[in-house]
Amino acid sequence: MELISGVFAFLFTVAVLSYLFGDNFFFRAAVYIFIGASAGYVAALLLGQVFWSQLIVPALSGSIEGIILMVLALLLFAKAFPPLSKLGTPSLALMVGVGAAIAIGGAVTGTLFPQVEASINAFDGISLFKDLGKVFEASLMLFVTISTLVYFQFSAKRDDGGKKQRNRVTRSLAFFGKIFIAITFGVLFAGVFSAALTAFIGRIDFLIKFIGSFL
Amino acid sequence: MNRFLSPVIAIAVGLLVLLGYFLPNNALLAGLRTTFVQWAVVLAAVALLVGVFNLLSVHIKKISAKEKGRFYSLLLVISLLITFFMGIFLGTDSAAMQTLFDSVILPVESSLLAIMVVTLIYAAIRLLRHRNDLMAFVFLGTVLIIMFAAAPLPFLQSPGLDEEIRPFIASIFSVFSSSGARGILIGVALGSLLTGLRVLIGADRPYGGK
Repeated sequence: MELISGVFAFLFTVAVLSYLFGDNFFFRAAVYIFIGASAGYVAALLLGQVFWSQLIVPALSGSIEGIILMVLALLLFAKAFPPLSKLGTPSLALMVGVGAAIAIGGAVTGTLFPQVEASINAFDGISLFKDLGKVFEASLMLFVTISTLVYFQFSAKRDDGGKKQRNRVTRSLAFFGKIFIAITFGVLFAGVFSAALTAFIGRIDFLIKFIGSFL
Repeated sequence: MNRFLSPVIAIAVGLLVLLGYFLPNNALLAGLRTTFVQWAVVLAAVALLVGVFNLLSVHIKKISAKEKGRFYSLLLVISLLITFFMGIFLGTDSAAMQTLFDSVILPVESSLLAIMVVTLIYAAIRLLRHRNDLMAFVFLGTVLIIMFAAAPLPFLQSPGLDEEIRPFIASIFSVFSSSGARGILIGVALGSLLTGLRVLIGADRPYGGK
C-alpha cells in the first residue's frame, strides 16, 4: 500500500512540476484530480461532522432552534437551483449580518486596540535622555506606522484649477509611507519565496529519494 | 418580501451579535450572540456543501454538453465522487483516506507551492520590465537584501558576516517591516470596520437585497 501511495505521490509531483516547462495535459489533469479529491474530502467531512450532528440530530429531536436552523439550511440549499435561488437570501443575510458584527468586533478588539497599544508600548519605560537609541527606534516605528496609514488616505481638496491635491504634509508622509509599504511587501515576498523554495527543495528531495529507493 | 425581510434579518442579527460582543455580562445578549454565531457557522458549512454541489453540477453539465476540456471535468467528477464516498463509508479519519491524502492532496499541494518559486521570480522580472519606478526598486532591493540576510550562504562564510552584518541587516529591516505591517493592519481593520458598519446600517447589501 505504501508503495502504491509513493508511486501516486511521485507521479502527481512530476505532473505538477512539469508546469515549469509550460502548461500541459499532465499538469491540468493533476490539478483537476486534486480539486475533485479536496472537494470530495471537504463534502464528506461537512456531511459527517456538521450536517448530521448539528442539523439533522437537533431537528429530529424536536428542538425549536434545531428546526429553525434546518429551515434556514434548506433555504440556503435553494441557492444551488437558479429558479429557487431567491429563497436562500434570508439565510445568506443572517450569515452576512453575523459576519459583519464579528468583523467589527474583531477589527476593534483584535486589531485596532492591540496594534495601537503596541505602538504606545514601544515607548513604555524608556527614559528620554538615558535610552536615546530606544527612543529613536520607537519614534521611527511610530513614524513608519503613521506614514503607512497616511498613504491610504486618498481624500483631497480641489485646488484653484479644480485638480485634486493633498496638502504638503500629507503628500510628504504618503511618499515615505509608500516606500515603507514597498519595504514591508518586499520582506513578505522574501518570506513567501523562502517558503516556496523550501517546498521546492522538499519535492526534489522526495523525487530523488523515491528513485533512489529502486536503485 | 425578500427585499425587506433580508435586510431586516441582517441588520437585526448583526446588531444583536455586536451588542452581545460588547456587553458580555448581559446573559440574554450573550446567549443570542452564541446562538447566532453557531447558526452562522453551520450555515457557512452548508454554503460550502452547496458550493461543492455546484462544482459537481457545473462539471457534469460540461461533460454532458461535450464541451472543450470535458476530459478534465470527468477526472474532477470521478475523483470527487470516489473521495466523497470513501469519506462517507470509511470515515474521514480512516487509513484509506489518509493514504489518499498522502498520495494525492499532499504532493499536489506542496508541488503547487514549489512551482511558485519560478512564478515569483517571473513576477519580479515582469515588475522590473513593466514598472520601472522607485517603488519597484525599493521592493526588489528589499527582497534581495532580506534573502542575503536570511538565506544560508555555504559558499560565503565568515564570522563577521554571519554573526554581525547579516543579523544587523535583518534587525534594521524588521523595524521597518513590522511597523509597516502594523500600519497596513490598522488600515485593513479600519476598512473592515467601515464595511461592517455599512452592512449593519443597510447601505451595503451583499446578500442580494436592493
